[in-house]
Amino acid sequence: MAGIIDLILSIIFYPPIYQLVLVGLTGALVVVIFIIWFERKATARVQRRLGPYHISPRLAGLPQLVADLIRYAFQEVIIPKTVDKELFVLAPIVATVLSILPIAVVPLTSNPAYWPIPMDYSMLVALALTTVSPIFLIVAGWASNNKFSIIGGVREAFVITAYELIAIMSILSASAAVLSFNLVEIVEAQRVWYILLNPIAFLAAFLAVLMATSGFPFEIPESENEVVAGPFTEYSGLLYGLNMGAAYMKRFAFSILMALVFLGGWSPYTPGEGILSGYLIPSLIVVAKATVLMMIFSLTRSIYGRFRLDQALEGAWRLVFPMAVLGFGLALLEAYLGVM
Amino acid sequence: MPAKPVVKRLPARRGLFAGFKGNVDAITIGLKYLVDPKRFTLIYPNEYIKLDPGYRGFIVLDPKKCIHCSSCARICPAAAMRMIKRMEEDPKTGKPKMKLWPVINYQRCIFCGYCVDVCPTEALYTVPYHDIVYENMAEMDWSLETFVKPPEHPTAKEGIPVKYIVDEEKGLVKVRAEEVEEK
Amino acid sequence: MSVWVYGEQKSELGLEGTITRKLEEDLYEVFIGPQHPGSGHMRIIVRIDGDIIVEADPDMGYVHRTMEKLSEGREWIKNVPLFERMAIHDACNVTVSYVMALERILGIEPPPRAKYLRTLLCEINRIAAHLYGFGIFGVFIGHSTMYMWSFADREVMVELAEKLTGARLTHSYPIPGGARRDMPQDFPQAARKAVRYFRRRLDEYRKIFLDNPVTRKRLEGVGIIPKKIAAELGVVGPVARASGIKYDARLAEPYDAYDEVEFEVPVYEEGDALARAWVKFEEIKQSLRIIEQAVDWLEKHPREAPIHERFWAKAPPLWKKVFEAEGRVKLLPLMANLKLPPGRAMARSETARGEIVYYVESDGKTTPYRVRIVSPSARNAIVFKYIAPGYKVMDLPTIYGSIDYFPPEADR
Ligand code: SF4
Ligand code: SF4
Repeated sequence: MAGIIDLILSIIFYPPIYQLVLVGLTGALVVVIFIIWFERKATARVQRRLGPYHISPRLAGLPQLVADLIRYAFQEVIIPKTVDKELFVLAPIVATVLSILPIAVVPLTSNPAYWPIPMDYSMLVALALTTVSPIFLIVAGWASNNKFSIIGGVREAFVITAYELIAIMSILSASAAVLSFNLVEIVEAQRVWYILLNPIAFLAAFLAVLMATSGFPFEIPESENEVVAGPFTEYSGLLYGLNMGAAYMKRFAFSILMALVFLGGWSPYTPGEGILSGYLIPSLIVVAKATVLMMIFSLTRSIYGRFRLDQALEGAWRLVFPMAVLGFGLALLEAYLGVM
Repeated sequence: MPAKPVVKRLPARRGLFAGFKGNVDAITIGLKYLVDPKRFTLIYPNEYIKLDPGYRGFIVLDPKKCIHCSSCARICPAAAMRMIKRMEEDPKTGKPKMKLWPVINYQRCIFCGYCVDVCPTEALYTVPYHDIVYENMAEMDWSLETFVKPPEHPTAKEGIPVKYIVDEEKGLVKVRAEEVEEK
Repeated sequence: MSVWVYGEQKSELGLEGTITRKLEEDLYEVFIGPQHPGSGHMRIIVRIDGDIIVEADPDMGYVHRTMEKLSEGREWIKNVPLFERMAIHDACNVTVSYVMALERILGIEPPPRAKYLRTLLCEINRIAAHLYGFGIFGVFIGHSTMYMWSFADREVMVELAEKLTGARLTHSYPIPGGARRDMPQDFPQAARKAVRYFRRRLDEYRKIFLDNPVTRKRLEGVGIIPKKIAAELGVVGPVARASGIKYDARLAEPYDAYDEVEFEVPVYEEGDALARAWVKFEEIKQSLRIIEQAVDWLEKHPREAPIHERFWAKAPPLWKKVFEAEGRVKLLPLMANLKLPPGRAMARSETARGEIVYYVESDGKTTPYRVRIVSPSARNAIVFKYIAPGYKVMDLPTIYGSIDYFPPEADR
């Protein structure tokens, strides 16, 4: 008996797992709820509306998102006859889970006791994990057996090819500058935040993340005026909610990564010993930075329309990709000059 | 001074920083409204608009003025107004007499106001509200008894009356109805 | 007869009359509408090759209400509220030409005050309708702020219209011989404020929408209609004017007060979606000018009933009392069964979307013998078929939004 409890405890306290559960699931849920609320409120303000309001006007409609969540959870999930059932059900679930997986491998503190994995190649692992989930959106579109879904899925595929390289290159430029794949070292090396040293790479990463998470002006795969809801056209209920949430989860994962790489991670705090000072406070700082980043992401919705697919791709390859290359070059130069 | 056609050109977008300026302008405007949204949302039903007296709202009959002429029913474009026959006591002779009375069917009425405008004695008048909910269609077909008194206005019981005033800065501003009336 | 169902031919579906044809190899057929967030009450059948539209078939008629036939069973004046339903946010513009046709048959001319009042409401409607168009256009290309802004600002115009007519949208304002209400005392002040507000606001529209690099990129060079093709297709309104055709019903045949007010008709020559957006944008500015002039004129001239003598001279004293007190022009009971002399007339007016033409024929009865309506959207719908092919799928909403196609108006 005791053995089983020990086993369960050891699984729960296995660092990647609790980080995934604590920051990845619980944290992400809270942050995502807050961010969706913020996005709706901020957009509403720019658009001279109230936004969510009637569920608790005193909290400015914050519980609206919880209500939406409950609604999604209890709505009937309709699985059309013509879909590929297994894939149709699995795709959004897997996509959501995979999209927060990068959180399981990033360090949120410099205290080795609380690292989820050995940190030597954590940057590469995290970046590699960010690239897994998009394929399942294409799968969702394909499994739906609906023309709009397939067009949406194909668009997603186009967009993926465009942003992935940019995201990876611009985030990796920090590795080049520090000459290490160790995220902790990258964070610790930032006496000046890396965003100030290499704004070009940051801008490229920013745009790439917008593309990756269907933010405006790159909200192309789900562009409702041609393809209804893109890959999610046939979805309903919880599965639809998952699909929608997955984009935000992914944005959260990317934001955490960007907060570590560009915004100095847990600085100005120096993690100490013990769970509070060694893990909770630094991770809160990182999450807070990521949240601020996400708030900036969500402002684009109210200012821009969407690009056409080819224009987005052209912009990505002609403008943002050279920017990422330039950022990488700048990082190498900085490494050569020993700035960081 | 008749109109004249003027050929115009699209504003040019040249120069290295044209795109940059466009982006900055758009973002600045967006942030300006993020800080000061200048919104005028009506929080219905906690607030409701107190409409001007000229508003074409629900139509009510003043039975004392009606001369049973049927003009209103004849002009109604939606066939919402119709005349019904009633046996009534003639006040002079004391004998029962057939009389025509208009009744209105709000399932059909489009609030065009023709009937009010055509009534030769101003027996029909509009009330300045429009937001009444019925539980079923049959209730919307008013009987003469309902037609002769203004309908209940449930929002007015709970909500705060507000008015919208055209404003140079904000487009419309929402003010308490009492404040407007004081002026 | 056999039909294609999921790639195989079936003969027994019992769907006689449904003819489907086999698609060419490699084409993908997408039915956009009628239940689609980006279609409105219509269906566009597009066949695409990769991302390029090869064929586009606008399939109209989903909101056909047999208006022309319905009107034959209704008395003359009752058709005004009916025709209004074509485009309720542009109510005065779409009905004023019907009323003008009736006036032509009757051989009467409304008094100048009525003309100015109608012009005033027409321009208020035009701005409201353009804002509506802008809003839909904005949301079609993903710019939700434009949508919300223009719908919020449209409320200012709706408020003005409400002050003037007593109804927000379906004003039923013009009637044969004149208009139904005079403006209230506080109207000029409100109208001037609104005009000043819009002048400032339009600049912000330009910054966030028209000059926004993303929007501009999206609109520029999309759905180009060269001048010659525009003339051949017979498009009207802003679509034609964006292609360099100097045509506007207000210009060709000034009606109401349009020959007395001063305004420009903006024409662009590029013929793309951006030019169409700019035409509308500039037209709003001109409409503001007209509103100012109309209000000035109305304020300067004495308040008198804005209706032809024929319907006012013999009116009982109560009529005049009501007009004095409320500015409301009461109708004579004879309006209900107005008899028009036999005859036929044609009239046109410029709605926000282009020229609307009414042909009205009377055989001396209380109802029309025939009313024929040619609405601007019906004429512009052809753009889908001939202009959309060759552009990307994502350009379809851009083209749709830029021609500001409004199905209820086209279907009648
Ligand atoms: S308002 Fe118009 S539709 Fe309604 S009853 Fe009067 S005439 Fe008929
Ligand atoms: S028009 Fe006026 S007076 Fe005549 S029946 Fe109708 S309500 Fe009565």
